[in-house]
Amino acid sequence: MSLTAERSTPAPAPAERPHDGPVAWITTTDHKKLGVMYCVTAFAFFLIGGALAGAMRAELADTGGQLIGPQAYNTLFTVHGIIMIFLFVAPFGVGLANYLVPLQIGAPDMAFPRVNAMGYWFFAGGGLLVLLSSFASDAGGVATGWYLYPPLSGPRYSPGVGPDLLILGLALVAISTVMSGVNVITTTFLMRAPGMTMWRLPVFTWNVVVTAILGLVAFPPAVAAFVLLLFDRRLGGQAFDPLGGGDPIVYQHLFWFLGHPEVYILILPFFGVITETIPVFSRKPLFGYTGFILATLAIGALSTGVWAHHMFTTGVVDNPFFSAMTFTIAVPTGVKFFNWIGTMWGGKLAFRVPMLFSIGFLLNFLIGGVTGVMLASAPLDFQLADSYFLVSHFHYTMMGGSVFGIFAAIYFWWPKAFGYRLSERLGRSVFVLMFVGFNLTFWPQFVVGLRGMPRRIVDYAPGLGWDTPNLVSSLGVVVLSAGVVLFLVDAFTSRRRRTPAGDDPWGGFSLEWATTSPPPENNFSSLPRIRSERPAFDMRHPEFTPGSSVTTAEEPS
Amino acid sequence: MRKPAAGVGALITLAVSVTSCSSSFGMPRGSTEQGEEIFDLWQIFFWAGIVVAALVYGLIAWSLIRYRRRRREPDGELGRQFHANAPLEIVYTVIPIVIVVVLFTLSFGTEDRASSVSPTPDVVLRAEAFSWGWRFGYPDEGVEVVSEPSAEGVPGPEILLPLGRTTRIELTSNDVIHAFWVADFLYKRDAIPGRVNVFDVTPTEIGTYHGVCSEFCGIHHAYMTFTVRVVEPSEFDAWLTDAAAIEQEVAS
Repeated sequence: MSLTAERSTPAPAPAERPHDGPVAWITTTDHKKLGVMYCVTAFAFFLIGGALAGAMRAELADTGGQLIGPQAYNTLFTVHGIIMIFLFVAPFGVGLANYLVPLQIGAPDMAFPRVNAMGYWFFAGGGLLVLLSSFASDAGGVATGWYLYPPLSGPRYSPGVGPDLLILGLALVAISTVMSGVNVITTTFLMRAPGMTMWRLPVFTWNVVVTAILGLVAFPPAVAAFVLLLFDRRLGGQAFDPLGGGDPIVYQHLFWFLGHPEVYILILPFFGVITETIPVFSRKPLFGYTGFILATLAIGALSTGVWAHHMFTTGVVDNPFFSAMTFTIAVPTGVKFFNWIGTMWGGKLAFRVPMLFSIGFLLNFLIGGVTGVMLASAPLDFQLADSYFLVSHFHYTMMGGSVFGIFAAIYFWWPKAFGYRLSERLGRSVFVLMFVGFNLTFWPQFVVGLRGMPRRIVDYAPGLGWDTPNLVSSLGVVVLSAGVVLFLVDAFTSRRRRTPAGDDPWGGFSLEWATTSPPPENNFSSLPRIRSERPAFDMRHPEFTPGSSVTTAEEPS
Repeated sequence: MRKPAAGVGALITLAVSVTSCSSSFGMPRGSTEQGEEIFDLWQIFFWAGIVVAALVYGLIAWSLIRYRRRRREPDGELGRQFHANAPLEIVYTVIPIVIVVVLFTLSFGTEDRASSVSPTPDVVLRAEAFSWGWRFGYPDEGVEVVSEPSAEGVPGPEILLPLGRTTRIELTSNDVIHAFWVADFLYKRDAIPGRVNVFDVTPTEIGTYHGVCSEFCGIHHAYMTFTVRVVEPSEFDAWLTDAAAIEQEVAS
């Protein structure tokens, strides 16, 4: 590879780089290219999943069935859920991890570059199968809800080929998750630059390591459940069929043993993202680094013991035990909130676009957290489970949290990945539209949920107090979509304008800001000394570096 | 198509309706003894949530306003470089622990009371869910209420429950998983094939309540509704006697 980094010269325009054709992208094993491919593919799935959600909100804007028949509607929410969880948020986190982990720890690439490439193509192939499952079936697409509960997903009630394609697609995605998980863990444990101890590891990397461990723990049982379900469907197995002596509850246990760690797989990388952005834009170190890492580990550990809170209304699980575990997980999450507030406290906050999205994350996720504590209570779940209250709760965590984290990450690392900036002005409008649109969409869903509206219904009767909130919610989607469209406009116009970003446009802390934008093929031509969790900051401010020979008279206060 | 003005009107209505819902925030108050228990718990969780959210939002707002970079300050000027404060961190770990221990304890007690099943119920109601409808039976009296297969425009079946008496509901399904939910009772349970879930309801208020299937069960899930009418025990007994007579006539 002929490309060499010259730190003294400004970043070369990406168009002049030699290895940039389609073949180079398809055959690449470079973690940065794969990271970008993961993120771009995942974002395309976000647009598809969002369009499905828009169709659902159009149907629900008014009572009566008007636009979409029930079968198509059931397919819409099934595929919307699968896409957003398995093909958008989770792989976007994998993409960020791919791009950033080697850069943040000072490594030239991932430990297993070819496994990494294979992981991407498994994900892309699995995604394709999932898309096919939505319509390639005589009886319409798969329409079982994203958690595929038998007996509904069994051969008798879902005879079409849709669920089979979905199961195979999900199995490929699960294998891909395991591959990337092994890679992230191995890379972080074995390839850190000299001086990069685990207690100096950037917080984003810590969070994706815990995410990767959760993926390794949670996905294999789910694949087992999916394979058993496939046996039931195609080979006459009766693992989950009560008529054949099977038990549908066993499936629920296996599924939620994936399903609950999965929600932390969806949120932890973005906890990591905003814990990178908030300190940078507060111009301060993270408050309570050690406590934050311990909280992350605690969340990872506890998340494997809470799964049956999805089953409080089945009447066949030990509600108090799982309820207690679920309450407990609120504690480390609460600790993180105080870490973020403590980081902003006493800072010099610069409200750049990544910071705006991070603040949006805090404001939205808090509501998701508070309602999560309500749902941890089994008796409250008797009312709230499977209602729109629950739908709103998890959108406040997954969309108001993770997706806002994704946009914070896009605006924060875009200049690093491509060498040019996105527009601050458009970015602020994207944030305002998305924040207002998001809250307008999901706040009314708390109200209808409490008023008794169940999820997954194509239609509802008038006179139950559900009409107005549903209309507001549907209008909110228009505002939210305008924000997403404006982001696409920003991406395309900025790509044309190519305002050079420089190596470190934000005053970043971690190692990726100590190389060029975009980074050279092997990431670094030289590494700074690593003396703390903020090596790029230490480079600019030797006066604050622990153990540094440079001393200053006084800290600014 | 609706006009934008309708949307604005809808927004205002929503804002008013949300603020006027007072402490319950739209949650029904519970029309059974069991539901009232759950409503009391909801009140506690709701206010605890408001207090915690207000505190955290207050701290965030203070940080954002007090510590924003002023125009005269150059971009990139540093804040005070402090890293940690162990006593403070211990305090903000212990406080959430105390909160969740209290909430869990309250929740545990409520579940015990709301889910306790009387050994001697006044009425037994068997509820069998199927795709897509309900087969309700009062086995002691030999009365059955079966719904038409549900579809858009088909009204669900109507059952009666006596005010102030304890009815044991024995819930099951004969095909896929469904769920029995009456929002005004603040209570739902899954109807699982091969299992029977048992719970008690003791209505405390005369009224007509909307019931739904709340576990997705296939194409006509949205229309799998039913109605529960809570009536005076005398009216309930009369209805049951009439219905039993009709069933006998049909049988003979």
